[in-house]
Amino acid sequence: MTNEAATAGISSPLTPGAKKDLWSWVNVWSIGTVVIAVAVMVPIVAVIFIGLTPGDDIWSHLASTVLPLYISTTLQLMIGVGAGTLVIGVGTAWLVSTCRFPGRRIFEWALLLPMAMPAYVIAYVYTDILEYAGPVQGLLRDMFGWTIKRDYWFPEIRSLGGAVSMMTLVLYPYVYLLSRAAFMEQSVCVLEASRVLGRGPWRSFFSVALPLARPAIVIGVSLVLMETLNDFGTVDFFAVSTFTLGIYDVWLNMNNVAGAAQLAGLLLFFVVFLVVAERFARRKQRFHHTTSKYKALPGYQLEGGAKRLATIGCTLPVVFGFVLPALVLGSYAVIHFEAAANAEVYRYAGNSFLLSSLTAFLAVVIGIFMAYGVRLRNEKIVKFMARFASLGYAVPGSVLAVGVLVSLGALDNGIDGFMRQNFGISTGLLFSGTIAAVTFGYLVRFLALSFGSVEASLAKITPSMDGASRSLGHGPFSTLRRIHIPLIRGSALTAAMLVFVDCMKELPMTMILRPFNFHTLATYVHQYASDEQLGEASLAALAIVVFGILPVIVLSFAITKSRPGQAGEGRAP
Amino acid sequence: MKGLHVVGVSHAFGNNRVLDKIGMMIPAGDLVCLLGPSGCGKTTLLRLATGLEKLQSGSIVVDDVIVAGEGTHVAPEHRRIGLMFQDYALFPHLSVTENVAFGLTGAAKAGERVMEMLDQVGMTAHAAKYPHMLSGGQQQRVALARALAPKPKLLLLDEPFSGLDTNMRGQIREQTLGVLKRSGVATLMVTHDPEEAMFMADRIKIMGDNGRILQAGRPHEIYYHPKHELVANMFGLMNRIEGVVEKGRVETPLGAVRAAGLEDGLRVQVLIRPEGVVLETNGGEGGTPVEVLSTHLLGHDNIVRARIVGGGPEFYVRVHHAFEPELRHRIEARIDPEYAFVFPLGGDSHAGRPAWPDPPALETTAAE
Repeated sequence: MTNEAATAGISSPLTPGAKKDLWSWVNVWSIGTVVIAVAVMVPIVAVIFIGLTPGDDIWSHLASTVLPLYISTTLQLMIGVGAGTLVIGVGTAWLVSTCRFPGRRIFEWALLLPMAMPAYVIAYVYTDILEYAGPVQGLLRDMFGWTIKRDYWFPEIRSLGGAVSMMTLVLYPYVYLLSRAAFMEQSVCVLEASRVLGRGPWRSFFSVALPLARPAIVIGVSLVLMETLNDFGTVDFFAVSTFTLGIYDVWLNMNNVAGAAQLAGLLLFFVVFLVVAERFARRKQRFHHTTSKYKALPGYQLEGGAKRLATIGCTLPVVFGFVLPALVLGSYAVIHFEAAANAEVYRYAGNSFLLSSLTAFLAVVIGIFMAYGVRLRNEKIVKFMARFASLGYAVPGSVLAVGVLVSLGALDNGIDGFMRQNFGISTGLLFSGTIAAVTFGYLVRFLALSFGSVEASLAKITPSMDGASRSLGHGPFSTLRRIHIPLIRGSALTAAMLVFVDCMKELPMTMILRPFNFHTLATYVHQYASDEQLGEASLAALAIVVFGILPVIVLSFAITKSRPGQAGEGRAP
Repeated sequence: MKGLHVVGVSHAFGNNRVLDKIGMMIPAGDLVCLLGPSGCGKTTLLRLATGLEKLQSGSIVVDDVIVAGEGTHVAPEHRRIGLMFQDYALFPHLSVTENVAFGLTGAAKAGERVMEMLDQVGMTAHAAKYPHMLSGGQQQRVALARALAPKPKLLLLDEPFSGLDTNMRGQIREQTLGVLKRSGVATLMVTHDPEEAMFMADRIKIMGDNGRILQAGRPHEIYYHPKHELVANMFGLMNRIEGVVEKGRVETPLGAVRAAGLEDGLRVQVLIRPEGVVLETNGGEGGTPVEVLSTHLLGHDNIVRARIVGGGPEFYVRVHHAFEPELRHRIEARIDPEYAFVFPLGGDSHAGRPAWPDPPALETTAAE
């Protein structure tokens, strides 16, 4: 479908077509997709490239000093958070999807609430409550007459264990969400077959339900671990020496971009492992549906102690992951309202809002363009590029930020050199340290979100729609505008919202890429909280949480809709 | 020539060749049916004609203009070829009116044309509804109206009736045929249902698994003079008897059949349609005595399962429903040569020759 042929009109003469066939994939869609994909890939490739280039002695220095610590801390954090989210996520998912106990309907969506809390916010709050000067230890001292720290033992919140707890509390919903969906998809017939064959509910769970849900659980845990690697606020605040923190340390304190990039490159290895695990699980998931007979899930009626335990088990994550920190933040916001609601906060809120909206808009437009380009030109190269471009979500923000920094720096220097040589003008740094750099960083990381959901929703539109529109005289653009966009509007809006909220919460990239003295709500909260002034930052933190609730609402709607026995949209013919 | 002209079109997906040097000509006003088993490349030909699939070799000409050929590929939106999909592909977010108007430009004229089309397919009363509110038959009619509204140079129908239940199919088929004939558009319809093809088509092209056209002709020709055993076998139940050619004919228990053009000594199969076996109850012209095993009422016809007395192959006979032979009553059977065809065994080539009716050659050997 080359453009030339289309515009050449109807009676174009017969010409040898060999040359054209070779380049037949070249048109605005495929070129656009490839260009976007390349732009998005540059930061990642830059990190890998620098990581592989032997630089100054920083590497051997790092290897002999802090590197072993980074690796072991990061691994411990991953294992801790992975295990914690696995137990809480799968356990609560199993309870709400197969058992009946008081509050089940509420827990179905309430268990998602902690998703609204960024790990760093919850970390500030718990530190405030649990540290030596905080209310909890104060109360204990008053009650038992202790006076100094040596009189009693209390767990140190600012520790690796603390970081594991914080992240587990806010990240388990990923595992919950995916394993719940997997349990719901399982045919009850399979479970009943297991029961009839003589296995009790517990053994059925471990021998049938859990193995069937395993791919979904693996996906959930890999997403959790990607988020764990991405986290900067918590580990920075708790001074837990992970890779992410190391990258900042090398970049900010040692002022060594190459060293930071080399660390980032190493961190990418962890990511590659996670991505492979996730993709593998996704591929496997397809073969895990053995029967097409669906029936409402059994709903074991829990009695007595089991009933109470189930209710408590589901209450705890919601209370500690959301309710308590939200209440604390709310009360701080009320108490410190005068100090918290200042002009600065409004300006930073404006910054956040503007940046997030801009990114969300661009991400959805580009996502639609790419997904439609892939649909239109089902070429291997285009598909591959699009896939690669959506790897950004897996790469920790700190790594991407370093990549963006390096590649934009090179671009700036290139432009500057070119302009000076040819026109005698020095342009200086055009992009580095600008809003554009931050937006670009956000895009690289969150494009996958919009691309993924647009692509999934396009896939639901039968290709004969395209064919019908084309044969009725509408070109690709007109077809996109008149058929596809109206049909995918819902999920495109959802995608925009997801990207928006993620940008609002984003901390690690913003920290590195932002212009001098430029703050978003997230960086503002982090700065004040790090200075032990959570009161002043409480309003801003609360604002982030409130925006974070938006996707939770959407997800709970999706959950109610997907419940077996409830019809879907029902609009398709 | 107004209409469609397909010249030597071949197409392959990887190593899988689905179309092999296909050629056809459909003048305006004609309806051609492409009949073949599922997955034999029929739909690919439609997609090539519309331009949704890129042509690999050959050329496609519409109204004397090359739309696809070496170096030329007119985009689907510039071809003015209507295509009706098997699933109708109605746009779910648009009303019936908006769906039909989709291919039209110029608001004032469009409104008129839409009403005209809806009137033709009898859907005026449902103009404001959305596709999900319509029955399958109604959706089919809207899809037809939408495809015809922009007055295409050529209309392609992909299994247009397969989504309808049997009760409705006959009625919708008739109505569709009426609309198509009135519009005078050249139509290529793809189907795997031989009965449907016979009903709709001016001419039928039968495609085999190998992507070649096995036979082309008017419905009557296809039915009475199949040139390939697959073609003969397409129209339902068939009686099959093996034999050897001797002196230009094949002996069967139900009589000899002429095997023109086949060498003596060749092993062949004789295919006889159920209506090609004639049952005689009063010993008229003399046939082979047979016994009736069971009868099955199909509506207008009866299918009788019978066997030659004293053993031998079972066979099926189609008789009028009023004809109700008593079970196990002694009757005689003979072959009506018009419905019997001889093909060589083992080969799937075109070498098969129909057993042309040749009255003097037909001998009925009265078995004991």
